[in-house]
Amino acid sequence: MIEQIRAKAREILENKTVDLVIGYQLGTRGAVRPAFVYTPDEVDRLVWNEACTHNLAAYLHAKRVPAKRGAPAPRIGLVLKACDGRALNVLLRENQVPREELYLIGVVCQGMQQPAGLQGRSLSQASPSGQLQLRCQACTERVPPAYDVLVGDPAGQKIDAAAQARQGALEQELQRLDGLSAAERRAFWDGEFERCLRCYACRQACPGCYCTECTAEQLDPEWVGIGIAIPEKRFFHTMRAYHLAGRCIGCDECARVCPVGVRLDLLNAWMRREVQRTFGYQAGMDATSPAPLTTFRPDEDLKL
Amino acid sequence: MTDFITHAQLRDWLAALGGTHTLIAPRQVTPELVVYQAVHSPDDIAFGFSRAALSPKEFFLPATEAILTVERVRQLAAGDGSAQPDWEVRLAEPGMERDQVVFGIRPCDAHALTALDALLLKDPADAYYARRRERTALIGLACQQMGATCFCTSLGFTPDDRQGMDVMLVATGDGYALDTLTDKGQAITAGLNPADYKGEPPAREWPPAEFKVPPRQVWTRLFKDPYWGELADRCLSCKICAYVCPTCRCFDVRDYTVAQTPAYQKIERLRCWDACMADGYRRIAGGHNPRPDKLERLRNRFYCKFDYYPADFGPLACVGCGRCIDHCPVNVDVTEVLDAVNARS
Repeated sequence: MIEQIRAKAREILENKTVDLVIGYQLGTRGAVRPAFVYTPDEVDRLVWNEACTHNLAAYLHAKRVPAKRGAPAPRIGLVLKACDGRALNVLLRENQVPREELYLIGVVCQGMQQPAGLQGRSLSQASPSGQLQLRCQACTERVPPAYDVLVGDPAGQKIDAAAQARQGALEQELQRLDGLSAAERRAFWDGEFERCLRCYACRQACPGCYCTECTAEQLDPEWVGIGIAIPEKRFFHTMRAYHLAGRCIGCDECARVCPVGVRLDLLNAWMRREVQRTFGYQAGMDATSPAPLTTFRPDEDLKL
Repeated sequence: MTDFITHAQLRDWLAALGGTHTLIAPRQVTPELVVYQAVHSPDDIAFGFSRAALSPKEFFLPATEAILTVERVRQLAAGDGSAQPDWEVRLAEPGMERDQVVFGIRPCDAHALTALDALLLKDPADAYYARRRERTALIGLACQQMGATCFCTSLGFTPDDRQGMDVMLVATGDGYALDTLTDKGQAITAGLNPADYKGEPPAREWPPAEFKVPPRQVWTRLFKDPYWGELADRCLSCKICAYVCPTCRCFDVRDYTVAQTPAYQKIERLRCWDACMADGYRRIAGGHNPRPDKLERLRNRFYCKFDYYPADFGPLACVGCGRCIDHCPVNVDVTEVLDAVNARS
């Protein structure tokens, strides 16, 4: 698969289909990190393995800024997993990036593994832990919803019975929250937010968070102060969860990047379930369906 | 002279200190996470941790602190309506109820406080930081081994270094070798009845330095090197590296009205952590931003640590704790940056 990704990246850089390919490369200490490849002779940096967890759709906004004012935006080749593809669909539907200026190298994904923890500098190989990430345990998609070329064989990637059984793990956590009273749920979330540093890594890693000025940092009006305390943190996380309701595709990058393990995956899963129940809608499955929270239908009766 | 205490003695001592001081110690808050918190009992303390996810920096530079509180209280005017109502104004600074003891601080974090002192205690001193430093005693605990991302030995000290500690503990298997190093240390060990440490005090070999910090002139020469752009490509512009860093100390200050009635007003001046990695950090009135892109911001981080801070205040603003390496979501690795800068020198 790696060779196919490199060959395709070389091809689209050589024939100037794109100016830049965003994929994955080996980092230090067994880590894998996002790679930005600008010339055909650099494509051998690209890799593919079970640690390619980053949602690269989150880089599209920053990377489409033209080098000079008035110049055309760079055209981007993107290595894309199924979840990244759903995130891209959200961006496409919101007219954030023109599809024709992207080249999508879809990859058949077998699920990403939890990080094994960084090693000493002597290690130059990726070191996945062997343990599937929670979101991947619950994932039923192996192929991105759209692509220009697909790498890997989708036929051999059926979700097996063991994987089906594991899908319940996230559901069980949601049910545990269901079983709590509103006051207990609030105490649970305040306990999570207590650890939050307001470093905004969750927002920065999120493909759906692309506002040029975040509500949490707006100065005029100043919706929320600079305090790194429970009231501000509660505001920030609930505000973000609401802004992502019906848009979050569940890549769980927010939870992965959090330095203190705030369960943002659970918060967003809760909101996704509400949207699914209320509107029968799942974000990112295609690039055209109207999104429930930005669509007005006079005949709609949600029986709320 | 080195003393010896058992683990039971250590627990009793910490319990007693908790009665007279605010005791801050490493605590396991989730299965994956140890952080320093105020604890009420030795049972809350994680003794077997390697290196906490966050340094105890926040007990010297709180993430949020009201550095000034202003209250205006309306006084009753004279009954005949001749006088304007009068306002009484009360000003208050934050106090510390009790002295603090930090137990289990690692040598890297103690070095970080020394580095912070160079800026924050320099005249004019930061009064809030100075008060906390003055009223906090540090009980150091030597690391048993270096973590995968630790590189303190490359920055000139070892995982059992005593510098900056008031009391230093080294685990010996059956207890702890204890050295009382300062007057503050004397004060907090007064109630302790340690045995003499028999034999040679524990000492061990540590791995040699792995990395070299490039000299200042190299940094100056590389300011416009394309490397910084390549590095910044993947940077997310979050503040993780700064907030987990034991020496990052930047903050923002704003005033907030927290209560207002016709007869009463309360205003707090909040000082909160901020970080140079954020887009808005350097923006100035009128909207200009001297560090508008990730490139300038990420470069500034490394120049601050290895060029500007040592030039202005003396010590490096990096102690090799490796937390930024551990937590960066996109593998920006400071040791790789040091190697890259050296390779280009």
